[in-house]
Amino acid sequence: MVKFTKEMKEALRVPGKGGSLIYLCTSSRDGKPNIAAMRFVATHMDDKILIADMFLLKTKANIKENPNVAVTICHPLDEGRWWVFRGKAVDMEYGFPRDFDWYGANATDILNEWGNWNKAEPPDEVPPDIVFPKAVQRGVVVVHVEEVYSIKPGHTGEKIL
Amino acid sequence: MKAWIEAMGCHLCVATPEGVPSVVLGRYAEVRGDDEVAFALAADEVGVIAPVIAENPRVAFGVSRQGGIRAAYQFKGAGEILRSGDLFDAVAAQAKEEKGIDAAAVLHVRLTELYCTKPGYEAGQRLDGMTPDELNVWERQRWKDVPRKRD
Repeated sequence: MVKFTKEMKEALRVPGKGGSLIYLCTSSRDGKPNIAAMRFVATHMDDKILIADMFLLKTKANIKENPNVAVTICHPLDEGRWWVFRGKAVDMEYGFPRDFDWYGANATDILNEWGNWNKAEPPDEVPPDIVFPKAVQRGVVVVHVEEVYSIKPGHTGEKIL
Repeated sequence: MKAWIEAMGCHLCVATPEGVPSVVLGRYAEVRGDDEVAFALAADEVGVIAPVIAENPRVAFGVSRQGGIRAAYQFKGAGEILRSGDLFDAVAAQAKEEKGIDAAAVLHVRLTELYCTKPGYEAGQRLDGMTPDELNVWERQRWKDVPRKRD
């Protein structure tokens, strides 16, 4: 059973609050991988990663047919954030049954707290040529992390949690 | 695009035939032509992805570090693990010289798909239908801070 460390929880936050830009890696059911950077990230409980569903396309399609995902730090790497979190994800969209449960994470709790993420944590640190004019959130991806391995050079693949 | 890949390296994503993804870093990247990229991998890095690629050669990658947002592209293609030969020798030697990497293998990716991942209305737009010249114009209209641009 995974329990995030304090450093992991600090890293798995929006960049403007000392966190990270992350990569969310998914796959189709027949093994076609996909990798996309995400800014809106947080942790929930001790083993869940939350990611805003704002511009997800292939990522969303993949999660709907295959819950296996990997999350890793894209930037900054050099602060010792050499982790890959592997687990199972669901996209808790608006319209989900309010009592929907994903490994202990409740849809009502998640959407109430994180369902208007752009307003709660606006992307003030994002350069003006990149920031999106209007972010429409459709849900929250909840990753139940089952294992963590290293991508630190010389230690790649070593199990951490 | 080429400059970002080579300057920052990439996060390489592979998946088993059953769809379980894994990620490693491609710390040294060398763009070889318009549709090929070679990554030098140390023994620990290739140890994670070689068994996967042996069963399923599909690879997706994005640029590491600041490139994740400043070079908002996703590249997809077919990967081959090389442990000897001219390409391995050339890339391994350069990786050792530039980044001190002891390459145990080279991941050679032949690109077949390119997507924009910039947040907003262009997210997910497929770009590999453009010619290299059209793509260069498209990129230059959007990104001004290209590092170590060679051309």
